Amino acid sequence: MFPGPTLMAAVTAVLERGLNRALSLDPAGRKALMAALNGPVQFSIEAPLNLTLALVPADSRIQVVGQPPESPALELAGRPMAFAALATGDDQVFTQGRIRVTGDMGLAHQFQRAIDQLDPDWEAALADYLGDVPAHFLGQRLRGAVKWSRQAFRSLNANVEEYIHEESRSLPGRRELEATFEDIDQVSLQVERLEARVRQIEPVATGSSEATERKGPESW
Amino acid sequence: MSEQQPSREPNSSSSADDVTHFGFRNVPKSQKASQVADVFHSVAGKYDLMNDLMSMGIHRLWKRFTIELSGVRKGHQVLDIAGGTGDLTMKFSDLVGPTGRVVLADINASMLQVGRGRLVDRGYAGNIEYVQADAEHLPFPDNNFNAVSIAFGLRNVTDKDQALRDMTRVLKPGGKLMVLEFSKPANPLLSKAYDAYSFSALPLMGQLIAGDSSSYKYLAESIRMHPDQETLKGMMEAAGLVNCKYFNMTGGVVALHVGIKP
Repeated sequence: MFPGPTLMAAVTAVLERGLNRALSLDPAGRKALMAALNGPVQFSIEAPLNLTLALVPADSRIQVVGQPPESPALELAGRPMAFAALATGDDQVFTQGRIRVTGDMGLAHQFQRAIDQLDPDWEAALADYLGDVPAHFLGQRLRGAVKWSRQAFRSLNANVEEYIHEESRSLPGRRELEATFEDIDQVSLQVERLEARVRQIEPVATGSSEATERKGPESW
Repeated sequence: MSEQQPSREPNSSSSADDVTHFGFRNVPKSQKASQVADVFHSVAGKYDLMNDLMSMGIHRLWKRFTIELSGVRKGHQVLDIAGGTGDLTMKFSDLVGPTGRVVLADINASMLQVGRGRLVDRGYAGNIEYVQADAEHLPFPDNNFNAVSIAFGLRNVTDKDQALRDMTRVLKPGGKLMVLEFSKPANPLLSKAYDAYSFSALPLMGQLIAGDSSSYKYLAESIRMHPDQETLKGMMEAAGLVNCKYFNMTGGVVALHVGIKP
């Protein structure tokens, strides 16, 4: 078991408080998540943590527990990175098998969508402590900073990609690569067809040579 | 959290059957209940504050783990014995929902009154019942509850074996009994530090905050007289429970014992 019951209880207490606080800042998202959570949902986080957590609906709150529930409605198992990807909205984690689902797959997708659509109003939470005007001022700056960093990251990505493909020519370009792969596919298909053709005519060729041997030279 | 009726005590040091321990002292069984009652009448008002101070808030984590392990869910019937100021009852009430029921039982009227006031103030109503009851003679029918909990109450019960038997009786087959109680630290170093803390700091805190050092001296002494983890586990098995196990918390300062009624 993870470090011990007392520490585990502390971890679940912190998670539960954070989750319910975030949900209270997004009433619509909370409603969607509570609708998806019609029974306990168990998360089995594998190596290196080996941790089991479960979300249990309790009244209008969500309870986070460190013990596997007796009859979970849904069980998700995978590595921590796969759960991080799930939390950031990557629904490929199910199809790629990075997260194994036991239970209703539809419920898993509904749950994932509900998490993805969560949009807590942090500015409202900040306004409770700082007042509306400073909170809005800070919120605007923060949103601007996030937008700028996302844009900067995208453009840096594009520039690095262009340099590697077009200028240093360290790696082939995407289109060039796609054309090569297409050619390889074509060659592979042609070889397969040829192989099939050879297999088809092989018994005929073998049969005619055997018949010739049996008949002997006089038939010539 | 609670105090109980006098009865037979397995560890009683006296040769006479009518004597039991009250902390480190031996008292007639007929007097233990009233003496324990005095302790809790005295501390009821400051009980939560003292719990937070003495345990440095960790008692909330111990109780949280108990709730997590209970497996209580919507529609369940739960009995919280020696429920005192209602920490566990509050959580159980959320879990069982409007279709379930939680009974907060305590033998001490002052503790029950503080607990009821606290729960009502926080808006907990509808699925909670308050019963002044003795753990050795529970006023409930057989096979009635999905889960029974007793947190920091068993050590004040005079006849623990009888109490465990009666708790088992009221459980439904498959129901779970959870006993959260102070126990014996596994590490000798921790044990020494814990002894020093409980025999010097606790009575001092009791004097400063609650104006009553003797009640907290009793608390420290009663913890030392309580059966250790293995003994309590054996007592639960003798009461008819199966799959009995315990979880040490904070190095064994507290242990949660769990057993299932077959």
